[in-house]
Amino acid sequence: MPPQDEHALIEASRAGDSGALDALIRSHQARVYSFAMRMCRNVEDAKDILQETFLGMLRSIREFRGESKFTTWLYRIASNACLKKRRRGVFEPQPDQEMSLDELMPRPGPDGRKPEIPDWSEDAERALLRGELSAQMEAAIDRLPREYKIVLVLRDVEGFSAEEAAQMLNLSVPAVKSRLHRARVFVRQELSRYFKDQEKV
Amino acid sequence: MTEYEPSRFHPKHGMAMTCREMFERLSEYVDGELSQQICEEIQRHMEGCEPCVAFAKTLKKTADLCRRLPSRPIPPEVAADLRIFLAAHLPKPK
Repeated sequence: MPPQDEHALIEASRAGDSGALDALIRSHQARVYSFAMRMCRNVEDAKDILQETFLGMLRSIREFRGESKFTTWLYRIASNACLKKRRRGVFEPQPDQEMSLDELMPRPGPDGRKPEIPDWSEDAERALLRGELSAQMEAAIDRLPREYKIVLVLRDVEGFSAEEAAQMLNLSVPAVKSRLHRARVFVRQELSRYFKDQEKV
Repeated sequence: MTEYEPSRFHPKHGMAMTCREMFERLSEYVDGELSQQICEEIQRHMEGCEPCVAFAKTLKKTADLCRRLPSRPIPPEVAADLRIFLAAHLPKPK
């Protein structure tokens, strides 16, 4: 939607125009749902998050003053709803679990030699074409502690900037960058494992 | 890439970055968020460190792959339920 159209819809929504509110919801519902599904991987939970997000939007749209982008503001509500949600029937990695860079950094060989780091970037393109990679990626992302996962999803999957993610999560930009790096290194490690196993096959 | 490799003196460029120092900043590097000076230091390090080159390439690929994950389409019934749920909360039409 062109920014001027969205601006008009937001203004009309703030003034209580229900048609404008409905149009605003329709223009964001697919993206918020996809984000919620990625975070909780469960239709019922994603539905709850979707409903909570737009109810939050309805209740507080009058307070939206345009100091941040509307999407940033909306995702702040959605992110809070995701972080509050306890997942059903799925193993939840320990919340607030610190991911240590020392543990994530490749170790040198027992003789002190540099570790072998295979470059699987070309293999990844082929696996993607064969449709094999998405499930591996989703599973790897899902193994991240939630505080790290949400940063990776906002930055790398949804494509928001570090500044936007920081506003959504009420974190500093360095904190977002630090979590993103750890989360990416972890997912990279999981993919490396997958490609190593594929080689054996 | 070694765990705690001490800074090395590069004959042309002075102190070179260690694997560990580089490892800490690789996401910022692949996102293009570092100053030119630090980028040059990283590039100098990578000229002589094959594992770090492979690590940087696969880290960048990981971020690229995340960006290409397909979005989850909203089922029509979920969209319909959202309308029903919100209907009670929407202001009455003017």
